[in-house]
Amino acid sequence: MMKYLDHVEEFIITFLMGAATLIIFSAIIHRFLAGLPIPGLQDRLIAFNFSWAQELCIYMFVWMAKFGAAYGVRSGIHVGVDVLVNRLPDEWRKKGVLVAIVCGTIFTGIIGTLGATFVWENGMHYAVYTLVGIDVGDVPQGPITPDLEWPTWIIYSAVPLGSYLMCFRFMQVGWRFVRLGELPHHDHAHVDGIEEEILDQPGILHDGTLHKGGSTK
Amino acid sequence: MSTEEAINVIPPMSKPRAAAWLIGISVVLIGVGLYFGNIGIVFALLLALMLTGVPVSIALGLTVLSFLYLLTNVPIEAVALKLFTGIEKFEIMAIPFFILAGNFLTHGGVARRMIDFAVSVIGHFHGGLALAGIIACAMFALVCGSSVATVVAIGSIVLPAMVQNGYPMRFGAGVIVCAGSLGILMLPSIPKVVYAVSTNTSIGALFVAGLIPGILLSFMLGVVTWYLAKKRNYPRMPKSSWAQRISAFRKSVWGLMLVVIIVGGIYSGVFTATEAAAMSAVYAFFISVFVYKDMGMKDVPRVLLNSANMSAMLLYIITNAVLFSFLMSHENIPQMMADWILGKDLGVVAFLIVVNLVLLLAGNVMEPSSIILIFAPILFPAAMKLGIDPVHFGILIDANMEVGLCHPPVGLNLYVASGISKLSITELTVAVLPWLMTMVVFLIIVTYWPSLSIWLPKAMGMM
Repeated sequence: MMKYLDHVEEFIITFLMGAATLIIFSAIIHRFLAGLPIPGLQDRLIAFNFSWAQELCIYMFVWMAKFGAAYGVRSGIHVGVDVLVNRLPDEWRKKGVLVAIVCGTIFTGIIGTLGATFVWENGMHYAVYTLVGIDVGDVPQGPITPDLEWPTWIIYSAVPLGSYLMCFRFMQVGWRFVRLGELPHHDHAHVDGIEEEILDQPGILHDGTLHKGGSTK
Repeated sequence: MSTEEAINVIPPMSKPRAAAWLIGISVVLIGVGLYFGNIGIVFALLLALMLTGVPVSIALGLTVLSFLYLLTNVPIEAVALKLFTGIEKFEIMAIPFFILAGNFLTHGGVARRMIDFAVSVIGHFHGGLALAGIIACAMFALVCGSSVATVVAIGSIVLPAMVQNGYPMRFGAGVIVCAGSLGILMLPSIPKVVYAVSTNTSIGALFVAGLIPGILLSFMLGVVTWYLAKKRNYPRMPKSSWAQRISAFRKSVWGLMLVVIIVGGIYSGVFTATEAAAMSAVYAFFISVFVYKDMGMKDVPRVLLNSANMSAMLLYIITNAVLFSFLMSHENIPQMMADWILGKDLGVVAFLIVVNLVLLLAGNVMEPSSIILIFAPILFPAAMKLGIDPVHFGILIDANMEVGLCHPPVGLNLYVASGISKLSITELTVAVLPWLMTMVVFLIIVTYWPSLSIWLPKAMGMM
C-alpha cells in the first residue's frame, strides 16, 4: 500500500514535468509553423487554438510543485539552516530535529485545512451537491479559469491534496527518526554513472592524441 | 545537503556552552522583538524558527501564519488565496525548465565535449587542465542556470583527469568549486529568475548583463590558477594542432548552440524567457539522447523525477516567500526599511557595502534562492531610491550568492565537490581560499563598476 502511494507520487510528478515541457514546446512549434506562409497548412494551424498552453503549463507545474514538495520531504531535499542545530549536543540535536519535523507537520496540516476550506467554498460544494442531486440553494458555483474554462476548485485542490500528503510524509519521517534515528538525506553530489562515464567514454582526455600516456607515442 | 558531513567537520558543543548559546540567542531575539515592535517580532520569529533547522520554506510560512493569527486582524483566508496565486506566474515556470535543461546537460555528455574543446585550446599553458576546467565551466555556464549542475558536470570529468595527470586533488577541487559558481552568473541562471520575479526586473536583461562580469571572473580565476600552477610547476598538456581544435569545437558546438537559442530567442523576441527555458530543456534532451547518445530513453524518467524534485523544492520556497512578502508589505516593512536607510544618509557607496555584508552573512546560513526571496524585497526599494540600476543590483546580488556557494557551512558547490573528490569539507575550505579571495575582489569590482554589468544589455537595447 505504502509502495503503491510512493510510486503514484513519483509517477505524477515525473509525468507532469515531462508533459508540461512537451506542451510548451508544441505551443512554440505551432506558433512558429503558423507564421510560415504555407498555403492550407497555415490556415489550419491558425484555426487550432493553442492559447491554453501557458495556463495548462502553469497548473501542471503548480501540481508538480505541491506533490513534488511532498516527495521532497521523503527524499530530504528541503533544507533548513542547520548550522546551530548540528553543533548542539547529540540529545539536544535530536530534540531540535523533532521540533523541525513537528513544525513541518503542523504547518502543512494547517495549510491543507485552509486549502480544503477554500476549495470547498469555491465550487466543490456546488459541484458535489449537484452531482448527488441535493438542492444547492445559494451556494456559489465558483469561478472558472480564463483560458481552459475549467472550474478553479479542481485546479486548486492541488493545495489541500499536496499539503496533506506532505503532512503525512512529515509524520512518516518523524516516526522513522524517533524509531531509528535516521533522516532522509539528499545527496546533491551523487550523479549516477559518473564512474563508468569517465572510464569508458572517448574524448580528448582519454584518447591517444592528447592524453599524457598517449602523447609519448 | 549532507548533515553527516557537517557534523564530522564541526564537533558538537558541550552542554553548558550550548545552553549559553541558546539562552543568548533567545535573549537577543526577544530583545529584538520587544524593541523594534512588529518588524522585530516578524524577524525574531523567522530567525527563531530557522535556527531550529526547520526548512526555510516552512519557517517562512509558519512566521506568516502565526504573525497574522496572533497580531493582526487579517483574515487567515487571505493566506489561502495567496497560496494559490503565489506561483501562478509564467515567468516563474522558467525555473523548472532551466533545472530540467541543466540535468539533461549534466547527464548528456555536453560537458565532456566542452572540456575537450577547452583542453585543446588552452591545455598547453601552465596548469592547462585546470585552466581548461575554468573555460569549460564558463562555457557550460553559458547554457546552464545552476552552479551545482556546473560543478557536477565539469568537476566529475575534469577532477579525475587532473589527478591522473599529476595534479593534487585539492588544487583541482579548489578551482572547480569557484569556477562552477559561474553557473549562476553567466547568461541563464535560476537565482536571476528568482530576482527578476521578486523585483519585476527584465529577465532577458539580467541574463545578458551577467556575460561580461562572467568573462571577467573567468579571466581572474584563470590568472590566479596560472600563477599558482606555474609556481608549483604543474604539468602542461601537449599543444594541439588547429585541426584538433576545430574538430573539438565542432563536437562541442551542439551544446553551444543553446546560447543562440536562449539569447537569440529572447533578444529577438521570438520567445519569452520561460519559452526559451522550455526550448533549451527539449533541445538538451534531444542532443543528449539522439546526438551524443550518452543517455538512453530509459534514463529520461529519472532525470525528470530529479528535476521535478529540485524544482518543487524551489517552487515551495517561492510560494512561502510570496506569503512572507505579503506579510511584509502588509506591515509596510520594505518602505520603512527604505526610509530608515535613506534617513541614515549612507550614500550609495556605504549602502552597497552594507548590502554586500548583509548578503555575505546570509550566504553563511541559506542557499541563494531563499536569500534573494527574503532580502530582495527589503533591499530593493532602498536601492531604487538611491538610484541604483535594478539590473546592476541583480548582478551584484548574484555575485554575492556566488561567494556564498563556495564557502562553508552551506556552500553547495563545496559539498558537491566534496562528493566528487572525496575530500573533506575542511580540506576543501582551505583548498578554495586563493580563488575565494579572487571572487571577493571580483565582488568589489562588480559592486562599484555598474557599467561592467549594464553596458551590454544597454548596448543591445534590452533595457
